[in-house]
Amino acid sequence: MKRLSSIYFGILGVVTLAFGIADLLVTIGGSGLSFGILEIPCDAFRGGWGGLIILSAGLFYLAGIKNISEIHQLSKVMMGSILIWIVAGLDIFAMITESIPGGDRSWFNTLEGFLETYAPPYTPAIFLLPFSLVVFYYILKKERNILKKEEDEE
Amino acid sequence: MTKLDVDERWDLIDKISKKTVTFGEYKHTLKDAIGELTVKPLTGIPIAIAVLYGFWSFFSSFAGFFTDGFFVKLFDEHWLLWLQEIFPGKESWLYYIFVGDPSATNCFEAFGVLTSGFFVAIGVVLPAIVAFYLILTLLEDSGYLPRLAVLIDTILHRIGLHGYAIVPTILSLGCNVPAVAATRVLETRKERFIMMTILAIFIPCGAQLGIMKEVIPDTMGFVIFYLFMGYLIFGFILNKIIPGKTPEMLIDVPPYQMPTAQNVGRKLWMRTSSFFKVALPFVLLGCVIVNVLYLTGFIAWMGDILSPLFIGWFGVPSETAGPLIAAFLRKDLAVAQLSAIEMTRYQMISAVVLVSIYFPCVATFAMMLREGWKELLGSIAVLAMVVTLYGGLLHLIWILLGVA
Amino acid sequence: MKILLMGHPNVGKSVLFNRLTGANVIESNYPGTTIDYTKGYMRVGGEEVEVIDVPGTFSLDPKDKAEEVAVKMLHESRDATVICVIDASKIERGLYLVLEIVEEGYSVAIALNMWDVAEDKNIKIDVVNLERILGVPVVSTTAISGEGIKELVSRSRGTAPVEVDDIFERVED
Repeated sequence: MKRLSSIYFGILGVVTLAFGIADLLVTIGGSGLSFGILEIPCDAFRGGWGGLIILSAGLFYLAGIKNISEIHQLSKVMMGSILIWIVAGLDIFAMITESIPGGDRSWFNTLEGFLETYAPPYTPAIFLLPFSLVVFYYILKKERNILKKEEDEE
Repeated sequence: MTKLDVDERWDLIDKISKKTVTFGEYKHTLKDAIGELTVKPLTGIPIAIAVLYGFWSFFSSFAGFFTDGFFVKLFDEHWLLWLQEIFPGKESWLYYIFVGDPSATNCFEAFGVLTSGFFVAIGVVLPAIVAFYLILTLLEDSGYLPRLAVLIDTILHRIGLHGYAIVPTILSLGCNVPAVAATRVLETRKERFIMMTILAIFIPCGAQLGIMKEVIPDTMGFVIFYLFMGYLIFGFILNKIIPGKTPEMLIDVPPYQMPTAQNVGRKLWMRTSSFFKVALPFVLLGCVIVNVLYLTGFIAWMGDILSPLFIGWFGVPSETAGPLIAAFLRKDLAVAQLSAIEMTRYQMISAVVLVSIYFPCVATFAMMLREGWKELLGSIAVLAMVVTLYGGLLHLIWILLGVA
Repeated sequence: MKILLMGHPNVGKSVLFNRLTGANVIESNYPGTTIDYTKGYMRVGGEEVEVIDVPGTFSLDPKDKAEEVAVKMLHESRDATVICVIDASKIERGLYLVLEIVEEGYSVAIALNMWDVAEDKNIKIDVVNLERILGVPVVSTTAISGEGIKELVSRSRGTAPVEVDDIFERVED
């Protein structure tokens, strides 16, 4: 299991790092990029700073995968996930706040307009979000193993 | 009564604790390990960037939701039109003071007490303040704030402050008044003076941030950057020229905690309501005073007198005199007023910077006076120098870039 | 009766104060939140008790303006009962301030606050023995969740000044 999780977070780290770099490049390039259901925004805030954070998240993952069961290493992996949650969480929060007001026409948005806001394309951070949650699974499993070991010893 | 000296006291404590305290084996938990990551520079700086990113992203989404989503519509399309229709006497001075410019199509231009005054206070500043204090409270109660102080200690030491100065600075982003009070935790008079002065000059308050986001969303990043550089530069200079010491201070880092909803809610309510008790009267009063000064021709007269300084030195239109007077009462009001003046993008940046660094608002002023009139006079002297130099410097930058 | 809440910065004096008096002073998880004193009242057995939330201080030898307020407050309230709030996970540093206050002849009660944090850190304190040695009431509390507050209030009534010499004797037993 240790090996498997190292590989998992290693791959996630590389992908996260790549997304972060893509974010930065697109922002520097000056025009947004969208293919399929992925959209990389090009504003200095979300693309630039956000990209920098995603890039750091990737680095945190990669720094933590070696000997992942050790608590200090695991904390780096956890931190990588936390950084993704910050960016993705606020991307989602921004969507929510955009989806409710009706713009020029009316006070509130139409149901269609409301739902449309949540349709793809999504930002890289939102794509990474579900994969980053795996860290919880890992921690839970690890705690259970420790408990089991202690019981066995007793 | 027997009194002990320091060593005897520690000896006694040693004996007592040997008899009563046992330190069990302490295992490092994941929480501790994460805590360590947040204070080590290499890992802590990206985390701090993420926290500030989250801070700003939440602030703008939340404030944008209320202000752009609902309040702008409410005030411009309903409240303003309704007032313009029912308020008697379009030519009278009463109309001018309360409703403002009869031909205005939005609440920034009108500048009446009931139109711009309420719009600024409730439509723009209220959401901004609530968003700000919500995040501040979370940062405080979770225990991140003192860790940020540890992290930033090395940088702030260069400007003669220890890392703990970040706490008044961040408080100041909400409102300068409690921030000035918070400088009391600094040990020497020198530190307190530097901190008080540079935060009153350079740190924009929550109300100001909220209104800047409305008026100059595109160039706001530049304004903040320019102010922040001023904070560092002038902090550095003041530290060099003012005699006195800046001792090391050990910061106690509290454990990370889950903020409780009850405490967060209560603090949010207390801070927002006390902010409004101070802010709302000043915003409304500010509108009245500025309008009266316009009606009596005082502002036009001031503009004429100051125009060499404004146009020649700062590179902004002489109409900016009005907002600068309003800025003494409320900075948010002044920025709102600037938005109605015709000027280029760069002049706008200069004008917003000037409004920010020029004189602290009345409430901050009063608070500084409470801390000591000598300090206040010193701050004002520094302020006059800063406004002239730093305001002129910005004009120079525009000239060198060829945009002024 | 008058009660002074004293202790190091960020040990939870303001949390305790709010719990005791139902007041609303700002409480935060960082040192130096309280920079001025706040008065409040609580009723104990029909008697009105004045409670004062004092800014945190490390010793009675003030180092900044907030600490000055704290020490001045103490010296102006000669007749007060002092509840020393101690961070149970850093008990030794807290006891230093306790001894200083005891030496000046005040009636003292001790709240071993942040008990939960000490438990997390696996620090065990023998409260009964500590109380015997010091000769003043010692109550373990967790102010945030309200544990131990009632006991603290009832125990802090009727506490009397103790002599440091007696503490020396008792610690040797």
